Amino acid sequence: MKDINIVIEICGSAGEGTISAGEILSRFMSSQGYEIMSFDSYPAEIRGFGKCVAHTRISSSVINSPGKLADVLIALNDGHSISQLSALKKGGILIYDSQPAKPHEEDKSVLGWADPSVVSYGVPLAMLAQKAAGNLRGRNMVALGAIAALFDLDREGFTDSIKARYAKKKQIVIDSNVNSFLEGFDWTKDHIEKKDTFTFDGVSLEPRGEKLIINGNQLVAQAALDADLKFYAGYPITPATKIMEILSKELPGYGGTLLQTEDEISAIGAVVGAGYGGIRAMTATSGPGFALMTEFTGLSVMAEVPAVIVDSQRGGPSTGIPTKTEQSDFNAALYSGTGDCPRVVLAPTDTASCYDATVLGLYLAEKYQTLVVILLDFFLSNSIRNIDTPKKPGPQMLNANVNPTEEDLKDYKRYKFTDDGISPRAIPGTPGGISFYTGLEHDERGRPDYSDKGHLAMSEKRYRKHASVLKEAPAPVISDFDGDRADIGVISWGSSAGAAHEAVATAKKEGINAASFSSVMLYPFPDEALIEFAGRCDNILIPELNFQGQFADYAQGVIKREVTRLNFITGRPMAAEDILDKMREM
Amino acid sequence: MPANDHYVIIGNGPAGNHAASTLRDKDKDAKITIVSDEAIPFYYKPRLTRYILDEIDAKDLMVKQLSSYSDSGIRLRLGQPVDRIDPDSKTVFLHHKEEIHYTKLIIATGSRARVLPTMRSYSDCLKFISSYDQVMEYKDDIKQAKRFFIFGGDLVAFTFVRLLSKMNKQVSLLIYPNAFWPFNLNEEMEAAIAQSLKGLSVDLLVKDDIKAIAESGNGYRVRTTKGKELNVDMVFSFNGLIPSVEFARGCGLDIDHGILVSETMQTNIPDIYACGSCAQIYNPDINTYTTSIGWPNAVAQGEVAAMNLLGDHKVIESAGRKYFDLEGVKVKTTWWEDIEERA
Ligand SMILES: Cc1cc2nc3c(=O)[nH]c(=O)nc-3n(C[C@H](O)[C@H](O)[C@H](O)COP(=O)(O)OP(=O)(O)OC[C@H]3O[C@@H](n4cnc5c(N)ncnc54)[C@H](O)[C@@H]3O)c2cc1C
Repeated sequence: MKDINIVIEICGSAGEGTISAGEILSRFMSSQGYEIMSFDSYPAEIRGFGKCVAHTRISSSVINSPGKLADVLIALNDGHSISQLSALKKGGILIYDSQPAKPHEEDKSVLGWADPSVVSYGVPLAMLAQKAAGNLRGRNMVALGAIAALFDLDREGFTDSIKARYAKKKQIVIDSNVNSFLEGFDWTKDHIEKKDTFTFDGVSLEPRGEKLIINGNQLVAQAALDADLKFYAGYPITPATKIMEILSKELPGYGGTLLQTEDEISAIGAVVGAGYGGIRAMTATSGPGFALMTEFTGLSVMAEVPAVIVDSQRGGPSTGIPTKTEQSDFNAALYSGTGDCPRVVLAPTDTASCYDATVLGLYLAEKYQTLVVILLDFFLSNSIRNIDTPKKPGPQMLNANVNPTEEDLKDYKRYKFTDDGISPRAIPGTPGGISFYTGLEHDERGRPDYSDKGHLAMSEKRYRKHASVLKEAPAPVISDFDGDRADIGVISWGSSAGAAHEAVATAKKEGINAASFSSVMLYPFPDEALIEFAGRCDNILIPELNFQGQFADYAQGVIKREVTRLNFITGRPMAAEDILDKMREM
Repeated sequence: MPANDHYVIIGNGPAGNHAASTLRDKDKDAKITIVSDEAIPFYYKPRLTRYILDEIDAKDLMVKQLSSYSDSGIRLRLGQPVDRIDPDSKTVFLHHKEEIHYTKLIIATGSRARVLPTMRSYSDCLKFISSYDQVMEYKDDIKQAKRFFIFGGDLVAFTFVRLLSKMNKQVSLLIYPNAFWPFNLNEEMEAAIAQSLKGLSVDLLVKDDIKAIAESGNGYRVRTTKGKELNVDMVFSFNGLIPSVEFARGCGLDIDHGILVSETMQTNIPDIYACGSCAQIYNPDINTYTTSIGWPNAVAQGEVAAMNLLGDHKVIESAGRKYFDLEGVKVKTTWWEDIEERA
């Protein structure tokens, strides 16, 4: 069967409908049975006229990374699209507005800068939008029409996707969008002589059943609701805001409460407070907010109060680059704050695992009475996939409280020493369960205890939880080895893992003896599995989106070997091609 | 600091390319831009016929690697037709509504297929071979078609006829000896040509003319003045080339068939030069302007235009005389060259 694998980028200015055009394209392609992965980038300003790019990878087979360069660039805005040309493949396809409303000054047209190898199609986007709807708003739909016509996509099916997207809008909005699309489609069929060879025609895909088209933030919110979250406190921050936005609408319907606090310090304070009170609570933030929360993260660990923080990473440090993706909070998530402060850190490796990680995070926080940090990043938060509807958590995941027995309550010790480090927790109000909670070092009853022996024993107890957590952690994903050993082992985490597994699979086809390893569990890390894996690889490559190689430093400490690093912080997600290129060099 | 000069060249054929490389050789700092309406990079037009037959592939059509432009700092704007120029503001208006400014301009827009005035009413039925896009448009149809009608006659026509014959196509060829391009055929030439076509599956029509062409089924019906009726799949017109200069008309440039230039390739407007087959060059010997023909002339003129644009005062000399083999007739030319020998 013909294999389809194409990346289409739509580039425009905020307000030009770039993102919604990308969304419609994704929806339609998903309805046709394709795998999609799409990712938007937009200006940092909350309301602005900056550059927006909707990046969509469409494939007839399974994909795990967004694709590095685009095969097609649709330029809704010439000025912004000029810089986007560097992300267009040599020999790629450019669709531009051939009759813009105003003339371009010299060097201000995207066509003017297109590489000579590019196949360009001029479509009068503005003119056709004007004709279809009497204004220029429909240029994005005209462009979709052009794409659909050029690549032989179903005219009627596409129209249905547009109608579905605007179903809640007034009829006039639906009509003008549909008409603009049709105008673009028909004009292109009549006027454009196709010079490239790409087509979706002749692909027959097995129906894949109903798919959920969803991003990581939406899945985190859905998972929290399904996992019986009862309290959320937070302060909005890109790229995590959407989680709060969804929960603010949905949580009350699930019997929960959402509190928008004045800042992140009070948000985590409220979450720890709710955790103390015995209900499932969480917050979501990004680097700058996480930084403010560190004092309370220590309290959560020290006082053994469940708390869940979703940190969707963005460019840092400080306010950093709000709308660019990065994996540079690894150290902060593991080591933020003072003292020896063992917490649990999970990092989903793809969109679907955002759901599972959230369910697991709430469970682990409750059971182990500690802080759980779930590391997403801008890419995972916002990239859209079409996935199967996740399986709802079973009852064992919904209540993980380790309650004190009657025996325990006779002489209740809130911080009783146990083999697994978990002390049965009496929820406030439990008769006989009076407890002291404090940030001070304490004894088994929670009374301040500054003795060296006491501090050591409590530190050991808190760290003992790690060994127990590991037993419940999802196992690392390890690709098959061809034979006993691999020349290159790629170890990855978070949103780079998909690209790493895809790169290794492609590398193997090219004859490179490679294997890959990724783990959702970052802290405690499955060190033994890592050592075993690394022991079978002659060279280790660690790709990650941060400057210093934060995870690579960690891994080197464990495997006691130099690794090759692949780091970049361009704001772009890791693509399989990036890793493959590095592997070919090694 | 004054901005660098911007030399804009319209046309990506041999004249435009040689002008650009000469400019770059002599002026390392200037901004140089080539603008072309064709989306394909600089290619050998003379090889188009062999490309139809798949004797060569697309790669063999190319004259230069694309990287050589970026390496030498020449900006190549492909697929960007020029709609008009305004010499007063020194602006070139591109079809996609971008305006580019030049300090000096070289027009090297070449030529396109000539349609005889008597044939204009049939132009929907006619096919031409003068550009890559045209060839791409009919390449597959030519392979499918069985019967061809070819009329007029120019230097390219014979290559095409031989090619069709090699493909075992049935060809009717109507030659206009008095309108052969770019020179008339004398009786001796005509006879020699007839002789050389013997043995090929070509039906030669002489001293006849087209009376009408009409669509018929998937093909065409051609009627001649002598009463012949032919049903064919494709009709090709080979009547030479005429300068592509429409976009320049009305801007103040002196234009006859082509853009009129002195022997130094200078137009009547300062800072604008024209060269190659879009130009009509003053010939002091006969005190008239003659159109320029062929690849070697385009090359030589591109170089001269570039040198003079930079302040030199070179007069164009005819390229060296060569014998060109036209179906067994040795034609002595300064303008046509066997590209296959050169490549
Ligand atoms: C089929 C064929 C076979 C030939 N065989 C031979 C041969 O064997 N030997 C020989 O010596 N000569 C041959 N020639 C003639 C030779 O190719 C031409 O003389 C030569 O190419 C002229 O060069 P030029 O640079 O002046 O123009 P061209 O090569 O015609 O190039 C002009 C360029 O300008 C572009 N242009 C035109 N108008 C615009 C506009 N408004 N905006 C932007 N760009 C524009 C054109 O698209 C083209 O790319 C042949 C020609 C043809 C068509």
